[in-house]
Amino acid sequence: MPPSPNPTVFVVDDDAPVQKAVSRLLRSAGFAVAVFASPREFLAQYDPRMPGCLVLDLAMPGFNGLQLQTTLGEKGCTLPIIFLTGHGDVSKSVQAMKRGAFDFLIKPVNAKSLLPAIHAAIEKDAVTRREHAKLSEICARLDTLTTRERKVLEHVVAGKLNRQIASELGVTEATIKVHRAHVMAKMKVEAIADLVRLAELCGIRESSE
Amino acid sequence: MSWITVVWSMNGAACLTLAAFYFVLWCNQRKSWMHLAFSGSAVAGAALTGFELALLRAQTTEQYGAILRWAQLPVWGLVVSLVVFVRLYLRAGRPWLAWTVCCVRTLALILNFLFIPNLSYREITSLRQVSWWGGETVSVPVGVTNPWILVAQLSSLLLIVFLIDATITVWRQGDRKRALRVGGGLSLFSLIAVGQALLVVWGIIQVPFLVCFALLGLLAVMGYELCSDVFRAAQLARELEASDKRLNLAADSADVGLWEWDIVRNEIWITDRGRSLFGFAASEKLDFDRFRSRLHPEDRESVLNEVENSLRTGAEYRSEYRVVLPNGQLRWIAGRGHVECNGDGQPVRMRGASLDITKRKQAEEQLRMSETTLHESKEHIDLATKAAGLVVWTWDIPRDEVWLSSKDRALFGFSQGEKLTAERIQSVVHPEDRQLVHQLSEDALRTGREIENQYRVLLHDGRIRWVTRLGRVEFDADGKPLRERGVLMDISERKQAELEAARQRHDLAHLARVTTLGELSSSLAHELTHPITAILSNAQAAQRFLDGDDVDLKEVSEIVNDIVIEDERAGEVIYRLRSLLKKGEPQKYCDVDLNEVVQHVLKLVRNDFINQNVTAETDLAQNLPSVIGDRVQLQQVLLNLVLNSCEAMTDCASAERQLLIASKLEKTAVQVSVTDRGGGIPEKKIEQVFERFFTTKKEGIGLGLSICRSIIDAHAGKIWATNNADCGATFYFILPINRQEERQ
Repeated sequence: MPPSPNPTVFVVDDDAPVQKAVSRLLRSAGFAVAVFASPREFLAQYDPRMPGCLVLDLAMPGFNGLQLQTTLGEKGCTLPIIFLTGHGDVSKSVQAMKRGAFDFLIKPVNAKSLLPAIHAAIEKDAVTRREHAKLSEICARLDTLTTRERKVLEHVVAGKLNRQIASELGVTEATIKVHRAHVMAKMKVEAIADLVRLAELCGIRESSE
Repeated sequence: MSWITVVWSMNGAACLTLAAFYFVLWCNQRKSWMHLAFSGSAVAGAALTGFELALLRAQTTEQYGAILRWAQLPVWGLVVSLVVFVRLYLRAGRPWLAWTVCCVRTLALILNFLFIPNLSYREITSLRQVSWWGGETVSVPVGVTNPWILVAQLSSLLLIVFLIDATITVWRQGDRKRALRVGGGLSLFSLIAVGQALLVVWGIIQVPFLVCFALLGLLAVMGYELCSDVFRAAQLARELEASDKRLNLAADSADVGLWEWDIVRNEIWITDRGRSLFGFAASEKLDFDRFRSRLHPEDRESVLNEVENSLRTGAEYRSEYRVVLPNGQLRWIAGRGHVECNGDGQPVRMRGASLDITKRKQAEEQLRMSETTLHESKEHIDLATKAAGLVVWTWDIPRDEVWLSSKDRALFGFSQGEKLTAERIQSVVHPEDRQLVHQLSEDALRTGREIENQYRVLLHDGRIRWVTRLGRVEFDADGKPLRERGVLMDISERKQAELEAARQRHDLAHLARVTTLGELSSSLAHELTHPITAILSNAQAAQRFLDGDDVDLKEVSEIVNDIVIEDERAGEVIYRLRSLLKKGEPQKYCDVDLNEVVQHVLKLVRNDFINQNVTAETDLAQNLPSVIGDRVQLQQVLLNLVLNSCEAMTDCASAERQLLIASKLEKTAVQVSVTDRGGGIPEKKIEQVFERFFTTKKEGIGLGLSICRSIIDAHAGKIWATNNADCGATFYFILPINRQEERQ
C-alpha cells in the first residue's frame, strides 16, 4: 500500500516566518512540504491527485481559510484540512468542522499535537484515496457490461430469480443464465453476494421496471 | 475916512487881537506867564498905536505935549513886558541888566510926569503941518529937546544891549534858529523903534513918531514864536493821543487792562478791556469798593494787604488773585501797579495794569495735576508690581548692564553693588531652559519682535519658580538695539494648575487607552501568536534535527537565528502594547512624525482589520515635517478614529469595508484624515460627536472622541468631522509643525 507519489503537507499561511517555521518542523518529521502564502496561490498550483493534507491558517486578509475550504469542497477535493488559528474563535471553528475539517489546532501549535494530526490526516487521505481507487476499478468493470448485461445485473441485485428476469425481459431463462455468467466474469466475482456488494458500492439499484 | 486913521487903527486892532488871544491862552494855562507878558506887550503896543495916531492928528502944542507925556506909560509897559518875555521865553539875558532896564525906564517914567510938557521936550514951540501921500496932513513937533530924555534913551539902549546879550547866549547854546529869529528880530525892531524916536526927539529928522509899525514887527516876531509853540503843543497832544491809543491797543491785544485809581477822590478809571476783565459794565462808575467786591473771598485779604503795603511804602504793587464775575465764572488776574505821591509824600494816585492769567493758571494746575497723576501712577505701578510679584528690569544693551530693583536683586541672590550683565542674569535661568531663553533673546534683538515666553528660574534660596517674561527691545534711529525693558511674573501657581490639568487629562487619556486596548486585546493577542508560533515550531524542528543521526548544523544555526528574529518581533508587539498601556510622563513632548504614527497604529489594528474584513489604504505625503507632541497620545487619537471607522462599517458588505488614512501638509500644519464608507454621522449630531459622553454605540461610554479632542487641543491643534459626499464620514485632525525644524 505505499502511496504513490509520496504524500505532501501543503502549508498555507500569510505570515512568512510562521510558514517557514512550520514547514521546517514538518520536514524534520520527514514530511514533504509545499508552502503557499495565500489560498489563491494554493488553488492555482494544487493538483488534486497529489496526496497529503492541508495545514491552513484560518484568518488571512482577503480570501481566507474558510473560503478556501468551501471552494475545495465544491470541487470535490477530499484533501483533509487541519486548521490553525490564533485564537479559539468558536463560531468559526464550528463552521469549519461542520464543513468537514479534519482538525482544528490553536497557535502556537505544539509539534506533539500537530505531527500526529498530520500523520492521521495523511493516513485518512491515503484510505480515502484507496477506497476511491477501488471504486474506480469496480466502476470500470461495470462500464464493460453491455446494456442487456447491465439490465440483468440490476435485476440480479434486486434479488430476482432467472425465470422472473427472463419473463420480464421477454427472453428465455437460458439466455439470462448466459448473461449472468458474463456479468459475473466481467465483474470478477464468484458469488452473487459479492456482485450485490459491488453493485451497491457503485450505487446500482434494482430495476424498477 | 483918511487912510492914516485906517492903517493905524488896523495896527492897533491887530495888537489888541494878539493881546486878547494870548490873554485867553494864559487864562487856560496860568503857569505860562510868557503868554501874559506877551499879552501885556500887545496891549502896550495897541496903546502906543493909539497915542501915535493922536499925535498925528494933534492940533495944538499943548495937546501934543500932553499926549506925548501919557504915551510914556505904554512905553514903560512895553519895555517891562518885553524884558519879562525874553527872560521867560528864551531863558537868557542877564538878570541884573533886565533889572537895570526896568529901573531906568521906571525912573524915566517918573521924570516924565515931573517935567512939563514931558520928558522929550522942554518946550514944544510949534506944530508943523506936513503933507503926506493922498492929501493927508500930519503934525510934526518943533521944540526944545529935554536933556533928561537921555535917561529914557539909556533905558532903551540898555534894552537893546540886553536883547543882543540874550540872543548871543541862545546862539551859543546851539539853538541858532531861535536866537536869530527871536533875539535877532526883537533886537532889530527895537533898534528901529528906538532909533526913529531918538531922531525925531532930537529934531534930526522932521517926521512924526512912527514907532508903532516897528512895534507890530516886534509883536509879530513874538507872536510867531508863541504860535508855533502852541502848534507844537497841539502836535504833541495829538502824538500823545496816538501813542495813548497805541498803548491801549497793545494793552488790549495783550489782554491787559490799564487802570488808574484817583485815591483822593476814590475814582477808578479803567480801559474797556479792563472792564471786561473784571466784568464791569461799560458805563459803570467805579471805585475801590466796587473793585473789592469782585475779589474772590479767599484772595481778598491778600490783595488788600498788597495795596496797603504799596500805599504805605511806595513799593510796587504786585498780586495774583481770582475775581468772581457776575455770571459766577472765576478768572485769575495778575495785577501790577505803582503809587504816585504829591509833594507832601501823600499817595494821590495809583496806576497799573491787570492781566488775565486764567489760562496760565489752568496750565499750571494741569501740570501740577499731571505731575500728581504721574506720581500716582508710579505709585500704582509700584504697588501693582509688588502685589503681583512682578520683577521689572531694564537692560542697557550697549553697556550690557541690567537694572534691577534692590528687592529683586535680593530675590535672585545678586549683591547690591554687583554689575549685572545679560550673561549674569541668564545664569539664574534653569539650565534646561537656558538655551531657549537665549535663543528668544537673540531673535528679539534681530527682529524687534516682542518676547513672551515661560521658563524656570532659580532663586537664591534654591527654589525653582516658573516665570513668564514679557520684553520689548528699543532701537535707536540707526536700528541698533538700545535697551530692552521687561517684566517677569511669577506664574508658578498657574503653571502648577496647568500641570495638574495636564496630568488629569493624561490620566483620563490613559484610562481611555486601556479601555481601547481592552477592546483590541484579542486581536493583539493574535498578533503575538505569530512570532510565538514561529518560535515554537522552529525550536521543535531544531530539537528533531538534533535528535537525528545526521545533524545539519547549518540548518540548526538558521533555525536559531530565526528564533531570535521572531523573539524580537514578539518583543516589539509587547513594546507597542506596553507603550500604549503605560502612563508615561505628562507633557513629555518631542518631535513626532505623523506618518510613523499612522504606520504604528495600522500594525496594532492589522488583525482587527482581518477579522472584520476591512481593507485599509494609506495616502501619506512624503517628507512631512514633524510636529511637537506626545507620541503615545497622538497614536491614541488615531487609533480611536480608526477603530470608530471600522465599527461604523460593520453593517456594510465586506467589499465596501474600506478605510483610507491620509496625511498632508497644510501650510504650517500637518493634517491627518481617516475616511470610512459606513453610515456617516447624522447631520444634527456632527457638532456633538466630540462632546463628552456622546455615543452612538451600545457599549461605548462616549469618552473616546472627547479625549481625542482634549489631546489635540493640548497640542494646539484642531479636530473635526465631516460626512463624505457619497457615503461614510471623514475625521480630521491638524497639528502645527515644529517651527524650529522649519527654520532649519
